Amino acid sequence: MIGLSHYLIVSALIFSIGLIGVLRRRNLLMLFFATEVMLNAVNIAFAAISHYYNDLAGQMFAFFIIAIAASEVAVGLGLLIVLYKKYGTLDLDDLASMKG
Amino acid sequence: MDNILSVLVFFPAIAGLLGFVVHKDSARAYGITVAAIEFFLSLWLWFSFDSANAGMQFVEMIPLIPDFGVSYYIGVDGISLFIIIMAALMTLIGMMSMSVTKNIKNMIITLLFLEMTMIGVFVALDAIIFYLFWELSLVPMLYIIGAWGGPLRVYASIKFFLYTFAGSLIMLVGMLFVAYVYHNLTGVWSFAITDWYALVLPVDYQLWLFAAFFFGFAIKVPMFPFHTWLPYAHGQAPTIGSVILAAVLLKMGTYGFVRFSLPMFPDASVMMITPIAVIAIIMIIYTAMVAYAQKDIKQVIAYSSVSHMGIIMLGIFAMNAEGIGGSVFQMLSHGIVSGALFMLVGVIYDRRHTKLMSEFGGLASVMPKYAVIFGIMLMAAVGLPLTIGFVGEFLVLLGFYQISPIMTILAGTSIIIGAIYMLAVYKKSFFGPITNEANKTLKDLDRKETWSLVPLVLIVIWLGIYPKPVLEPIDNSVKAMLVFMDEKAITQEAKDMIRVAKSSKGGV
Amino acid sequence: MENLVYIALFAPFASSMFAALFGMSPRQTFVGIVASSLLFISFVASAILAYHVYSTGTSIHVTMMEWISAGDLTIPFGFLVDQVSVTMMTVVTLVSTVVHIYSIGYMDHDKSFNRFFSYLSAFVFSMMILVMSDNFAGLFIGWEGVGVCSWLLIGFWYHKEDVTREENPSISPSWAANEAFIVNRIADLGMLVGIFIIYWNVGSLQYDVVFADLPNLSSSVLNAAALALFIGAMGKSAQFPLHTWLTDAMEGPTPVSALIHAATMVTAGVFLVIRANPIFSMTPEVSFFIAALGTFVAFFAASMALVNRDLKRIIAFSTLSQLGYMFAAAGLGAYWIALFHLAAHAFFKALLFLGAGNVMHAMDDELDIFKMGGLKKAMKWTYIYMGLASLALAGIPVFAGFFSKDAIIETAFNEGTYVLWAILVITAGMTAFYSFRQVFLTFHGDERYKEAGIHPHEMYKFVLIAMSPLAVLAVIAGFFMGGFQEFVTKLLPNYEMSHHTHELIWYLTAIVLVFAIGGIWLAYKKYAKGLKRDEKLENSFVYKLLANQYYIPNFYEAFITKPYAMISEMMWKNVDMKIVDATVDGIAKLIYKSGDGSRKMQTGNLSNYLNWMAIGAVLLLVVAALSAMLG
Repeated sequence: MIGLSHYLIVSALIFSIGLIGVLRRRNLLMLFFATEVMLNAVNIAFAAISHYYNDLAGQMFAFFIIAIAASEVAVGLGLLIVLYKKYGTLDLDDLASMKG
Repeated sequence: MDNILSVLVFFPAIAGLLGFVVHKDSARAYGITVAAIEFFLSLWLWFSFDSANAGMQFVEMIPLIPDFGVSYYIGVDGISLFIIIMAALMTLIGMMSMSVTKNIKNMIITLLFLEMTMIGVFVALDAIIFYLFWELSLVPMLYIIGAWGGPLRVYASIKFFLYTFAGSLIMLVGMLFVAYVYHNLTGVWSFAITDWYALVLPVDYQLWLFAAFFFGFAIKVPMFPFHTWLPYAHGQAPTIGSVILAAVLLKMGTYGFVRFSLPMFPDASVMMITPIAVIAIIMIIYTAMVAYAQKDIKQVIAYSSVSHMGIIMLGIFAMNAEGIGGSVFQMLSHGIVSGALFMLVGVIYDRRHTKLMSEFGGLASVMPKYAVIFGIMLMAAVGLPLTIGFVGEFLVLLGFYQISPIMTILAGTSIIIGAIYMLAVYKKSFFGPITNEANKTLKDLDRKETWSLVPLVLIVIWLGIYPKPVLEPIDNSVKAMLVFMDEKAITQEAKDMIRVAKSSKGGV
Repeated sequence: MENLVYIALFAPFASSMFAALFGMSPRQTFVGIVASSLLFISFVASAILAYHVYSTGTSIHVTMMEWISAGDLTIPFGFLVDQVSVTMMTVVTLVSTVVHIYSIGYMDHDKSFNRFFSYLSAFVFSMMILVMSDNFAGLFIGWEGVGVCSWLLIGFWYHKEDVTREENPSISPSWAANEAFIVNRIADLGMLVGIFIIYWNVGSLQYDVVFADLPNLSSSVLNAAALALFIGAMGKSAQFPLHTWLTDAMEGPTPVSALIHAATMVTAGVFLVIRANPIFSMTPEVSFFIAALGTFVAFFAASMALVNRDLKRIIAFSTLSQLGYMFAAAGLGAYWIALFHLAAHAFFKALLFLGAGNVMHAMDDELDIFKMGGLKKAMKWTYIYMGLASLALAGIPVFAGFFSKDAIIETAFNEGTYVLWAILVITAGMTAFYSFRQVFLTFHGDERYKEAGIHPHEMYKFVLIAMSPLAVLAVIAGFFMGGFQEFVTKLLPNYEMSHHTHELIWYLTAIVLVFAIGGIWLAYKKYAKGLKRDEKLENSFVYKLLANQYYIPNFYEAFITKPYAMISEMMWKNVDMKIVDATVDGIAKLIYKSGDGSRKMQTGNLSNYLNWMAIGAVLLLVVAALSAMLG
């Protein structure tokens, strides 16, 4: 029987993969992917817990997150393209104009 | 005129705003006119003041944030009345004697704003309003030192600003906590000082709050060991800045002790008598010695200010009408005398562009009028009877003698070591042969300088011979405060220590 | 009568203000004349008041206005004219008038002539406040007032340069002035403490209230008050160890020395003890201390006068010594004798100083008596005056000093304090010796001044005439002793010699006289024929010790002045700058440095930021978990 804890473990694993991606990757596009992975890990957790409590609010949240992530990707990718056009790279180590 | 206090506070500020459209050639005349009107208004305030009434007068109250009990609440009593008049007077005299020519318009406008904040502090009866003016007063002074000061002006002005600002932030925390306690006890918010007076706090609260307020006030006074910003500020400030700083801004600290610490925390104040007296004695003796070692006349007077503020602090914690009344009087006396001394140093600085005593010597021969006025102010500074300096110092020492004879004798050495450094300055600068060629052709006081100094000389002598018009209202308010403190004190030792004068009439 | 009180008090003030008007203008003779006339008016008023008090036996008490009033303290400007104060008023105004007239001649060539009169009259005004006040605070006003005037007048020739102590023991007028002021301030602190003690125990500073309340005070309070007041008196009257300023004060113009540092101001301390006699009579220990110290100072000062070569310093030492006599009398309870000696001393000592001024004037400000000699031909009147004054000082019968000083010595015998008596007798011999050593070296013998090419001349005639009242009084004042006793003992406790002393009085007087005449004879032997210097003696240890004032000024310089300056310097440079201020700056630097250090975190690299963020999130989680676990 697959219970709540299984879902949560999967969610945590996926979240960790995303987190490692965020921490290790130097390419902005990859960072985006990694954040998407993290968001979806949260979605899994939301859906699972929502089912467990019989409360639809969690699943609604998951939908909201999917919608917002989509719009975020739309805006973010646009910005990335502008950034690439301007600097010719998406490598974070080269994009350090805010150095204090 | 019921709202004369509001007029006193905001007239200079509004006039300052209007000053932006005044042409710079007439800015000086404009500033003097405004300051003169302000001064006459303050005299009128005195004239319509009821000396027999010890409580707050000319009270105005407009709620600002009713939900939190913050209101525009102002008033004067005998303690604050004369400090207000002195602030107006010193601003006027300072402007009259001012020798600044660079950016004169900015200077005048800044001074007028400063005047608003100074008077605001002394009339405020709401803690938030008090705090507002207290902090605002830093800004014009920062600008005056930073823009017109000497070579180290930026360092000095920032030190002055940050140091006093840090202290007052701690005070702000204290204020908020008092308001919080007040809310807990009564269910309503209030920042009115007169409401806070009614608050009977347990002793441990009193001690913590006393400490919080202490930092704000002590740095401003400045008390040892928080005094080191003062020599820099004075050393770098232009003459007018030093005059206002010494005459009025320092008095905010001591005034704060009288207005807040004593009536709000009577038990803590009594418990703190010994530590504060020790600090005050260190201030008196230590800074007087440091003053003696100085090479620069202005630094001598700066350190002497700290020493004299020590006397004032001692008197405040004498817990009797003689000492506290003497302290308040000494605030006025020190304001006028040190202001005048700084102006006098400015006179010689304008001529020689140096303040080092080694550059001078024999000035009495070439500048006799200057030497006479300097001599009179010096004698007032060392507390010669029949000058303004004696009355306050005598009363303070007399008052504190009741608390501790030994400490009074230690503090009393100020009349010796004060004379040592002051006479040393006078001897090095004014006596002896003229050794420096540059001094042989110095001009004596010109008309502008004479006219700004002579009124101060007259006040110094008048209040030395006949201090009653000033001392009486102060005395009434102080006696009433002591009666109130005595009633409010919860510990028996505080009740024993606070000495209500036999001639007191009754509570606030 | 009230008006007379105000006239006596304020005429010198008017004089001072009048002269001050012309303070910065060139010499105007009329300033001196007006000032002297106003002083004379004050003298006349005082004399009339004295007669009034004498004839009616009542005192006059006026209150002008309230001065300070705070808490329960009320101090009025009140003036009391009774037997004691009126004596002082008359003496002060008389000597002042003479000195004012004298100064017209003496300060003739000084460009600050007008300023001088302003200061001098201001001094008289302060002195009048001091003696006339009806309360201790008013006394203190005068006390400080005379101190300032003394400062102004000692430093009158402020433009002179500082020189080494070997060249001039007083260094410079301005140095001497500051020394006098500061030393007096030390004593003034004692006086203030005395005032505080009285106020907190009695609740008033009025003499009548305080003296009426004395029986209610404990003896420790009384002792403390008496001691504190006497410390105040020690400063003004230059008693050991606060005595060094008096000889240095001789840097001032000679009329100043005559008026302030001989006749009036320095006797203020004695006046205080006499004025506050109810306190001192109740404190026998303190009183005995006063008497013992007075006796010591009488001897101590006289010993230094023996070898001094400076005309004015010798007289200054003799003043010190005579003040010691006065304190001895006051300490032994013979207040009226102290007051009588005070008055008599004022006359002959002022005369002596003014005579010295004449000599200085004649000798182009030369003060070394070894360089004088034989001046009696050129300066006959001055010689007579100084001779008379010295006879009075030496206590030769008929002259004023004989009566007053002899009475003090008898008092010491009468009280059974034979040690004090013996010292005072020996001192009387020393007094005679040094007074006449000075007279003989100045006026007799070979004319050593010729080497320096000086042509001495007698003082102006009007000056000599002005001095005559003092000369007359120096001679005859002693005859009024009985009347004086009757007059002042209406207020002061009477003091009579015991029966036993009365029987011995002729022997006692004879012993004193033997010493006095012996001193004069010795001086005559050694110096009247001319100056024979004794190298061996002058190089001896005792001689050097005395000539250097027991090295006390050097001691003060090495152990007080210099360390004070050094400690001050150290306090400033090491403590204030390096500890207090450095701590403040250190805190500021710490904040600044920590900001500077943590700035490196701002790499601009998004990846780094994300790492930091993750670490922060983990830390927060850990904190949350821990706090949940700990409850």
